[in-house]
Amino acid sequence: MSTESVTRSLQRARNGVGVGGGGAPVRQRRNKALNHGTTFFFFALPSLFLLLLLNLYPVIYAGFQSVHNGDLIDPGDFIGLHNYLTVLQTADFWRAARFTVIFTIVGVFGSWAIGLGIALLLRTKIPANPVFKVLLLLPWVVPTVVSATAWNWLVATPQAPLPVIAKAIGFGDVSFLGDPLAAQVLVCIFKVWISFPFMMMMLSSALAAVDTNVYEASRVDGAGTWQTFTRITLPMISRTTYVSWILMTIFCVNDFPTIYLLTGGGPVNATQSLVVMAYQTVFANQQVGPGVAIAFIMTIVLVIVSVVLYRQIRKASIE
Amino acid sequence: MAQQSGGAFTRRTFIGVAGGVAASTLLAACSRAGGNGGSGGGGGAKSAKFWNMPWGSDAFLAEDKRIVAAYKPDSGLPSFTYQQIQWANFTQTFQSAVASNTNPAVSSGGGTQAFQFAAQGKIAYADDLFDSWEGDLKDDFLDGLLDTMKTDDGYAAIPYNLDVRCSWYNKTLMEEAGATPPTTWDEYLETCAKLKAKGYYGFGLGSGAGSFTGSHILTGFMINNGGGIFNDKLEPDLVTPENEEAIDFILELVHKGYSDPNSATYTSANVQSQWKAKKFAFGWDGAGLPANVGPVAPDLVVGEPLKSRSGKQGFLYFPNNIMMYKNTPSQKGSEAFLTYYYKNMKTLWTKKTGIGLPPLKSIANTPEVSGDSNNKTILDKWNPIYHTWGAPGTSGLFANVAYTVDGTQPMITFTQSILGGKVKAADALKTLQNQIEPLMKK
Repeated sequence: MSTESVTRSLQRARNGVGVGGGGAPVRQRRNKALNHGTTFFFFALPSLFLLLLLNLYPVIYAGFQSVHNGDLIDPGDFIGLHNYLTVLQTADFWRAARFTVIFTIVGVFGSWAIGLGIALLLRTKIPANPVFKVLLLLPWVVPTVVSATAWNWLVATPQAPLPVIAKAIGFGDVSFLGDPLAAQVLVCIFKVWISFPFMMMMLSSALAAVDTNVYEASRVDGAGTWQTFTRITLPMISRTTYVSWILMTIFCVNDFPTIYLLTGGGPVNATQSLVVMAYQTVFANQQVGPGVAIAFIMTIVLVIVSVVLYRQIRKASIE
Repeated sequence: MAQQSGGAFTRRTFIGVAGGVAASTLLAACSRAGGNGGSGGGGGAKSAKFWNMPWGSDAFLAEDKRIVAAYKPDSGLPSFTYQQIQWANFTQTFQSAVASNTNPAVSSGGGTQAFQFAAQGKIAYADDLFDSWEGDLKDDFLDGLLDTMKTDDGYAAIPYNLDVRCSWYNKTLMEEAGATPPTTWDEYLETCAKLKAKGYYGFGLGSGAGSFTGSHILTGFMINNGGGIFNDKLEPDLVTPENEEAIDFILELVHKGYSDPNSATYTSANVQSQWKAKKFAFGWDGAGLPANVGPVAPDLVVGEPLKSRSGKQGFLYFPNNIMMYKNTPSQKGSEAFLTYYYKNMKTLWTKKTGIGLPPLKSIANTPEVSGDSNNKTILDKWNPIYHTWGAPGTSGLFANVAYTVDGTQPMITFTQSILGGKVKAADALKTLQNQIEPLMKK
């Protein structure tokens, strides 16, 4: 077979035709493939239409609002990127951005560390293991409004349980919600508490998929516990880890109820994240354009972070 | 072949049905979005929506629902359905509804919303309604109350209840501390000192998530000293000697430990729990406080208005109102419903449901209202000195109050910074001025 005929055969093979195939079947199969494509397109059309209507339209309209100076009722005049520039020049925006970064880093890595620790613990033979699993899921399952109310009860007043305990063990009068730094720490801990069951579930399933023979082989080779953990466990669950980091980053950056229900962004905006700031700018201050601009800036940053982490996943898959 | 074995249900049929469903959904969605004032649809008989706020205890909701359910409209006019809107994020609820044309035909709400929506062209002015009430209900309103609803284009709303801010004290705890009810700022400091010696807080209030009462109280103290937020040009004018002196006085209360260190983040529920726990012996709240503090309610007494160091009196109140929207199934229906409601709402007060003070003299004079010593103190001693958000510039209200100070984030932040005690009065007032100026709308 000459090089030319091989190339021709490969091309025909790519077109779905056998090496010895003729012209008429090719047309028939192409038509069939086209018909299938058209059919699938029409199948998807109603869903696509609703998807565009429900998702794309609000985004486009929000974009429209972000370059206007109106309110929820009257869109107002076109002002270009003025809202974006104004927002980016305010100290409040950068303070909220800083807290969002801290909140996200603590939320992602705090919940990942605890989730991984518990997932590893649950692999050992603990009595009533399924019961523990269910109980550990509760913080994730319980509605945030219920959790926030419970945490408020735990810390809000000086005679609440945690301030009483803090005083008894020598920390003095701790104002968990009244002191800006304490409120920031509390909100981050609350986020970790709510989120670790999600990480635990993700990592439990990843750990379950790791071949036990690998561990046995490492033991035979004399690897210690720490070496096994860092050289085998972590690399083997790295894909799931990156996926969970991406998801938790999105959850944290977009998390409104955890912060708003516990502190309302206070005291004195100490726990105001960008999403809380966007909400308060739109609905409390009735500044729709700047509020939506904040949300768009957040989205852009979030997409960039997600792409970077996604590349890490691909890298991990290749390795 | 197997794909087609499902009888007549072919791919084309599926696509057709799916397209039809999508189109129907879209049409239904558009139909709802374009609907008006809570039109209930369905046949010839329309219904309209009445949204009311939780102005009192659970008893208020039950009684208010009963009154609305008993409304029998004349032929051709819509019936009304009742919905209670929670205070949490209420501005969002109303704005979203108005923006999407899913607003009720008639509603109460925040005291300044009617003026905001009127400026946006969404309010049906109440002038015709008041004309129809001439010689009847119109003359029954408390003196001067109707004027607070007046705008250049007409009456933006109908006064509904007076949501007042005043001082409260627990008489048992006061007696135990040997303190007497104060009448001046300096006496108030002495009272707080005695209460503190017994472990009680004398400056009880809250300014946490969703709680705006703290910002009301601070504004009240500014008004108490002859100051306030707006000047006679209806522009924010916060950095004045009167306001600075008032905020300095608040800071003195905070620095001396007379306020709860957590009060900056107390929700209404937290504040009420502190009254119940007998930690707050003297504080500032609305007229409905006793309805929410359970067993300590009988001990609570309304204090007297304080004279500031400059000898002035004054405080903040909200002439809450009911507004009619242009987007309604029937304007005549809205007016007929409100005529019925105002003629039958007396039991909301006589049954002590916790709603603020009544707007009508005929209700204020009932034994159930005037016989309550706390109500009497508010009506006799506080009511004459009350001012609106517009003080000291005006006695009325206007749209920019809603945009700048009523429930806005700068007011919360300002209040939390003062209650935190780590700022200077002049700096905090200047910051607030700078933050609310950009929120003004022309």
